[in-house]
Amino acid sequence: MKRREMIRGSVLAGAFAAALRPALANAQSGAQSAAQTSELTPAQKGVDASKDLSAPGWKPVFLDEHQNETLIVLSDLIIPSTDTPGAKEALVNRYIDLVLAAETPETQRAFLNSLGYLDGESMRRFKAAFRYLSREEQDRLLHALAYPRVGGGWAGDTGAVADPGHGYFEALKGRIMSAYYSSQIGEKELGWDGAFAHGPYQGCEHPEGDHK
Amino acid sequence: MAGMAQDPLQQTYDAVVVGSGATGGWAAKQLAEAGLKVALLEAGRAVSPKEFTEHMPAYKLKYRDHSPEVVRTRPVQKQCYACMEYNYEWFVNDLENPYSTPPGRPFTWQRLRILGGRSLVWGRQSYRMSDNDFKAASRDGYGDDWPISYADLAPYYDIVERYVGISGATEGNEMLPDGQFLPPMKMSCGEILLRERVKAKFGHTVTIGRTAILTQNHNGRLQCHYCGPCERGCSTFSYFSSPFTTVKDALASGNCTLITNAVVSHVEMDTEPNKARGVTYVDRLTRQVKEVRGKAVILCAQALESTRILLNSSTREYPNGLANSSGALGHYLMDHVVGAGASGRMPDFKTLPNANEPARPNGIYIPRFRNTPSNAKHSRFIRGYGYQGGADADFNFKAEGYGASMKKAVKDGVYGISLGAFGESLARWDNYIEIDRDLKDAWGIPALRISMTHGDNEAALMEDAGASAAEMLEAAGAQDIQVRASVEMPGMAIHELGTARMGNDPKQSVLNAFNQAHDVKNLFVMDGASFVSSACQNPTLSMMALTVRACAHLIDRFHKNEI
Repeated sequence: MKRREMIRGSVLAGAFAAALRPALANAQSGAQSAAQTSELTPAQKGVDASKDLSAPGWKPVFLDEHQNETLIVLSDLIIPSTDTPGAKEALVNRYIDLVLAAETPETQRAFLNSLGYLDGESMRRFKAAFRYLSREEQDRLLHALAYPRVGGGWAGDTGAVADPGHGYFEALKGRIMSAYYSSQIGEKELGWDGAFAHGPYQGCEHPEGDHK
Repeated sequence: MAGMAQDPLQQTYDAVVVGSGATGGWAAKQLAEAGLKVALLEAGRAVSPKEFTEHMPAYKLKYRDHSPEVVRTRPVQKQCYACMEYNYEWFVNDLENPYSTPPGRPFTWQRLRILGGRSLVWGRQSYRMSDNDFKAASRDGYGDDWPISYADLAPYYDIVERYVGISGATEGNEMLPDGQFLPPMKMSCGEILLRERVKAKFGHTVTIGRTAILTQNHNGRLQCHYCGPCERGCSTFSYFSSPFTTVKDALASGNCTLITNAVVSHVEMDTEPNKARGVTYVDRLTRQVKEVRGKAVILCAQALESTRILLNSSTREYPNGLANSSGALGHYLMDHVVGAGASGRMPDFKTLPNANEPARPNGIYIPRFRNTPSNAKHSRFIRGYGYQGGADADFNFKAEGYGASMKKAVKDGVYGISLGAFGESLARWDNYIEIDRDLKDAWGIPALRISMTHGDNEAALMEDAGASAAEMLEAAGAQDIQVRASVEMPGMAIHELGTARMGNDPKQSVLNAFNQAHDVKNLFVMDGASFVSSACQNPTLSMMALTVRACAHLIDRFHKNEI
């Protein structure tokens, strides 16, 4: 129903058509190889990949050790463990590493730039990389990035200019949010009971003119 | 063609139907149940309920819907929200199925090759057209009237709705005729408030979406269990898709032979003039070239694919495409214009969303209110637009900041409301498709070059639609209203129409009022290609009704030995 909101419209089809032409030679053999595959997605075959990330001996495939540890520390600050588990328990670093490994070089670079900005600011202000800061120092740095204020005014004020660091923060936060809330722990956080059907939809049961 | 294999049964069918989606399924059912021997050709494989994934949580997917395989093989298809890591194999592989577009005229073409076609993943919104649409040209002077009126199609809308099962509410709206409805789905508090305020302030109708989803058990299928993601399949067959309804009936009649993996390249002509003999196809897996013969050939391959087959069927007599003495074949391509709407927050409503609430796979609909018989003509554009939308509490994934307070704010939620417009796309000669002589698909079949752009009228529609949506949300008390008034690239509505239009004048149109080619009487195009104008309603219901009407005509002529 929300088709139009959900359609990802940023990319032009024409550009794709041009890009597809060289791929056609491969497509000729692609039709042959299709006969050997089942033509089902892993999900349609019933493959359950939910345990992959918790495998013992896990190692990052894209991030280096410092980047991985930094991501763990950051994710724990963004979505901490409270009365429910947080991003660290949900292994969001492992999922992000997996997805990044398959991303385009541009997207990979953008992520590393964001992480690098965090360490750069940390070095500039506290003379140490982000993951080695005290909890209080980490908080001061993140707070400045999360609620940017420039020239003495809050970002919401007229004339205030957004801190460029805010964009890096939001990029990292966005990755961590989507990784957390798409995990099994994240689904539970949202209260999901594991059942797929809760119908029928009841809708508004208020008298006319009173819907509060 | 040398070395061509005959079809395995060495049979001449009464009818060869190309395509097994919403319209092809109906053609196969109607013809087979009337006693005709039917061959139903589908370019993709068969589909099984075992591959439905609507109940699989995202965390079981390796990439949780960010699969690099989808990006690599479906760069165009994934522009549709319904193409995802769960089900991407249902969509065509873009590397095997290319098309081209001229510089500055992008078009996104989303399609499936599998039994049932796009009926497996469609949006399911089902609306009738009215004489305001069929006779629009007479009313505002632009374009051409349809060769049929609402009265001609109404009985066939009835047949289709009764069989498919459309849930909806009757409204008595002059632009949106009521139909044979199952009980409507319920509206949320925000939607009811919008309905009340918009009626009071503007006189416009807000109604629950009319959708091909069952709200009670119907024709052997179970009512919806509100799990949400219909586009991944439905284990209770509660939304309408052809493999488990019309195609199933056609096969059960004993008169229909299903041939999957049959990629049709062109129509074969008989030695007798102006008579089709059947179709030639390439076996998708073995690449063998085969012919299926039929007394009638019926194209239901999707608007652009059906016309591509005709363009690839040129003969000495029809050098510019089969059944194209008019020259209109390929022209008047349409796709509803999208890109305008508004969204906001309704701060007066309780939020606290719950992941265990039923997920209603439907929203609200606002029928066209511009340039209607009871309203003055708009000064800046002709025709109009309708809206789809909805209002409900949801998790606040855009909560500010970080840490425990942000984590709580996500769960506290936000009550959102949004409207998105679908506008009429005017039929224009210079929006067209043709064969790209330098481009072939993986089966060696010449591919399409699609040349389309929305015009000034579409842009004016979207500008007005953005402003009107904002006014309506404001009337409902929404805050933080964001307005959109852009024009997205053609194809984004996935409502491709036209390119083999109907008409009474064989010099101006490809098909007659019964979807029958003027030039070749045993050749029919029974899909969206036949549309004369696009209206602004989601077109699948009308396409199915046109198919059933055309089949009634074909069966009649068949029994009179005229086909």
